[in-house]
Amino acid sequence: MSTKEERERVELLQGTLDLLILRTLLLGPAHGHAIAKTIEFNSDEVLQVEQGSLYPALHRLIKRRWISVEEGTSENNRRAKFYRLTSKGRRQLKVETGKWDKLAGAIARILRPAE
Amino acid sequence: MRRGKQMLNELDAEIHEHIERETQDNIERGMTPGEARYAAVRKFGNVTRVKEDTRDVWRIAWAEDLWQDIRYGLRMLRNSPGFAGVAVLTLALGIGANTAIFSLINGVMLRSLPVEKPSELVVLRWNARKGPRFNGYMSSGDCRDNLRLGGANPTGCSFSEPILREVRNSNQFSGVAAFANSGPLSLTGNGPASMISGQLVSGDFFHTLGLKAVAGRMLDLSDDSPTAPSVAVLNYGYWQSSFGGARDAVGRTIELNGVAFTIVGVVEQRFTGVTPGSDYDVWMPLAAGRRINNPRFWDNREDNVAFWWLTILGRLKPETPMLQAQAAVSGMFRNEMLHGSVPLFDAGGRMPGPPEPRGGGGPASRQMVMGGPPPAGARAVPLPSSGGAQASVIVGGPMPPPAGGPGPGRIQAVPEPTAPGQAPPEAANEPRTLSRPDDEPTVTLVNAQTGLTGSRGQFANPLYVLMLAVGIILLIACSNVAGLMLARAAARQKEMAVRLALGAGRMRILRQLLTESLLLAATGGILGIVFASWGSHAIVSFVSNNQPRPLTFATGLDLRVLGFTAAISPFTGILFGLAPAFRSLRVDLTHALKEGFSAATKISGGGGRRFGIGNALVVTQVALAIVVLVGAGLLVRTLQNLRSIDVGFDAHNLVIFGINPSLAGYKDAQIRSFYRDLQGRLTETPGVKSASYSMVPLLSGALMATLFHWPGTPQDRQSESDVLEVGPNFFSTMEIPFVAGRNFTASDYEIAAQATNPAPPTVATPVIVDQAFVAKFLAKENPVGKRFGQSEASQDGPASPGYEIIGVVRDTKYDSLRRAISPMMYTPQAFPGASFEVRTAGDPQALVPAIRKVVAEINPNLPLRNVTTESQQIDRLLFQERLVARLSVFLGLLALALACIGLYGLLAYEVARRTREIGIRSALGAQRGDVLRLVLKQGLSLSIVGAAAGIGVALGVTRYLKSMLYDVSAYDPITIVVVSALLVLVALAACLIPAQRATNVDPMVALRYE
Repeated sequence: MSTKEERERVELLQGTLDLLILRTLLLGPAHGHAIAKTIEFNSDEVLQVEQGSLYPALHRLIKRRWISVEEGTSENNRRAKFYRLTSKGRRQLKVETGKWDKLAGAIARILRPAE
Repeated sequence: MRRGKQMLNELDAEIHEHIERETQDNIERGMTPGEARYAAVRKFGNVTRVKEDTRDVWRIAWAEDLWQDIRYGLRMLRNSPGFAGVAVLTLALGIGANTAIFSLINGVMLRSLPVEKPSELVVLRWNARKGPRFNGYMSSGDCRDNLRLGGANPTGCSFSEPILREVRNSNQFSGVAAFANSGPLSLTGNGPASMISGQLVSGDFFHTLGLKAVAGRMLDLSDDSPTAPSVAVLNYGYWQSSFGGARDAVGRTIELNGVAFTIVGVVEQRFTGVTPGSDYDVWMPLAAGRRINNPRFWDNREDNVAFWWLTILGRLKPETPMLQAQAAVSGMFRNEMLHGSVPLFDAGGRMPGPPEPRGGGGPASRQMVMGGPPPAGARAVPLPSSGGAQASVIVGGPMPPPAGGPGPGRIQAVPEPTAPGQAPPEAANEPRTLSRPDDEPTVTLVNAQTGLTGSRGQFANPLYVLMLAVGIILLIACSNVAGLMLARAAARQKEMAVRLALGAGRMRILRQLLTESLLLAATGGILGIVFASWGSHAIVSFVSNNQPRPLTFATGLDLRVLGFTAAISPFTGILFGLAPAFRSLRVDLTHALKEGFSAATKISGGGGRRFGIGNALVVTQVALAIVVLVGAGLLVRTLQNLRSIDVGFDAHNLVIFGINPSLAGYKDAQIRSFYRDLQGRLTETPGVKSASYSMVPLLSGALMATLFHWPGTPQDRQSESDVLEVGPNFFSTMEIPFVAGRNFTASDYEIAAQATNPAPPTVATPVIVDQAFVAKFLAKENPVGKRFGQSEASQDGPASPGYEIIGVVRDTKYDSLRRAISPMMYTPQAFPGASFEVRTAGDPQALVPAIRKVVAEINPNLPLRNVTTESQQIDRLLFQERLVARLSVFLGLLALALACIGLYGLLAYEVARRTREIGIRSALGAQRGDVLRLVLKQGLSLSIVGAAAGIGVALGVTRYLKSMLYDVSAYDPITIVVVSALLVLVALAACLIPAQRATNVDPMVALRYE
């Protein structure tokens, strides 16, 4: 169970999961569970990902050829699937990040005009 | 895609691995293994849905789902073959009946004219407040004329040839075409002599219609001149059947009515005549009309503005709006009508053909009217226009035989609102005009597609009635299936609840249910098409068996109709699938699951509404079935009434055939002796009791009438009577008894024959009248010896001695069974064309070869036409009634069957649903009878409520049938009672099966059940 209080958790915005996966994979190839863990950890466990929803998203990204998949051996010597960012995915990450910054900035300006 | 498959294969393992890792992590955080696993699974979420969603990523849209739905749907249907069978059969019957009838309607009513760009083609129609003063008027029967005796606002589509020339010269159209019937044609020079049908067409006819030659060439304007050689164009089908489709038929010479014609071409296959249902063997130029008809009867049609005989078509120029063309043509027409002078009947030189006052004693202003296409095939019998008097010869609807059945509206005539003597005095000095300004003669342009009704007209009403009936049947079928689906949806409540609980998406389930309905609809649709093709074959063969020539429309299924069916079956599917589908999704899951099957009982508490819908559907079906059944009942009663009519003569054992020796060149006296000879020889033929002849046979659809002056009535008043020329022994052959007076004698025939001579007759024509004539004109006066119809010499004609009644016979029906018996006079036959009636001792059909032999012995070149028996002829006359009665009975029974299937389905479902209740009742001591009553009561009350509602609707609807009924009220109580009784009985039978099943419920089993 998570250490954070339930009410501090935030549901993920629609479509942002793809962005987070791409960002995570920028650090290097990872398997599914590691990706989920990384997202949770890096967001200070504020973002709650229903871990299962990771898989449709991964497959979606593969289909778009933004990430690729390869067989590998995990840290505890078990066979696992590793997901890796493709160069196409890298470009897409830039585009998506730019879009996100714009969106976040705009929303922030609306919500806190004084700051 | 392959990539996806591979990924998905390992998905399970991957998910499993993921949860393992999470569990491990949790354990490391200090949870117990159990807690750790639980937390991991919770955090992961719904595994099934994740898998579904992941699979969805790789799916090519919905195709895979669909396939799955279909497979699942098929499995479900296979598991309940009873439900599937009934639903598919119901739909198939509904769709099949609709497709068959719509194919027929499409073939007859909607098919576009077989010409190029039919939408540009218009037909000219004239209208006036009062009838123009024609000298003659012939309708081709292709479009509706309304020229009732002295009726107001007459209208018609026939014009004179001078008008045609003006229309052509007006330059309003890019092309003009005109046509008329050729009259009977006897063809020799290609095998044995035969009667064929022909049309006279203007030289620009084919060009204007945009028709091409398959062989040779089409006619052109140069063929249509009095000096051009006689040429003809063949129908493709006729070319195939009579010339074997030989190329060298073009260029060959045939003889039509003894005149040599060169075949110059064959028209393309799609064209059999411009009017739907018409079928001509040959086309000849208008100018050939004079050559093939007796010129004496031809008048001076080419130049006579008062002889109207041509139907005119125009092709609109793209740049000229229809209204503009109409205004121009109408103005021109009005000008001609008001200012063009009419040649008087006796305008000597202008009227070729000796002005022979003939016509039974040549009473002034004799008018011949002939109704509908004499199925006796008599196409335009060229009636003698009595040169004297303004005899208007109206030969109605000589549609070619395909029209064969009862004529398209009778053509009627007598365009003489102003009786001869009535013309204003000054008129005698002024040139007479066709119309006066206050008659407001105009021309309207009517789209040829709608204007050229032809024999469509007569089929329109029955077809719309049938269309309504099949529409109702489709409605019953749909509501029936909807009821079945509802019942089934209720039964599957639990299944749906389980699927929803297991995480199936609601949309997915909805789609699944819709797929099942569509599956049913598609299967039903395909089976329906099979039924439809049987149905329309049956209809077409029934129709063809009753026509002298095969029908040229309505042959089988049409692609557009198939499209209609293809559209209607999925529509039905969605319609009846959606409601139950939505209903299934509004299930209270917990209830449904917890209480299992007994939930159904609970739901039916709150589901009183569903129960209500089922009941309402059945009541609706029963009501609709009653409407169709009442209609069918009324039509059957009509047919019965028509069949049991006393026609006034013995219609059994009577052979009828037409023969016209004048077509083989016989002249007046020769014709008479030919008839006597033939009559004598026929009478001596073994098996023949007696033989006679008349101008047209009775009950053949043909009708003639005449106008005369009855003594004692105002001078300008004309009286009307039907008239028929008959040969010796006509009354004894037909077994029409004499009431008073005597039969015609040889000297009577001499008098009648004299009347055809140029010299004006001096002796009154002897006539025999019927009782209706006596009743109308004579009251108590002794009819025998009474003279009438005399007239002084005047501008209208020479003096006429009129008629003298020599006998009175019993009333008979004349042209049709429906028409009331009217005053009728028989005159001695003097007209060259006749139909023989041969009374046989035994089977009339068996004597036909002998009769043919007798005729061939006299002259092998004389073709017989329309050899038939009187009973066959009556059948043909009743063809439409029989067709409609038969089809509507079939549809009525179909509606009944469907409604009862619906009732049965509902009750069967009710019994299944209430198994437990019935079990409890039985356990508490209810007897079999009580249980039986329980079910029957519901069924019977539903059918009685439905029947009552149906009768109410039927009473409101049947009046639209009125024009098709004979001697039965649209509110006929007997029909309604019989039909309702039939329905309740059949409904009772349908209830018995489920009721029986209910009584067999074993209380022990029922109580233990779930």
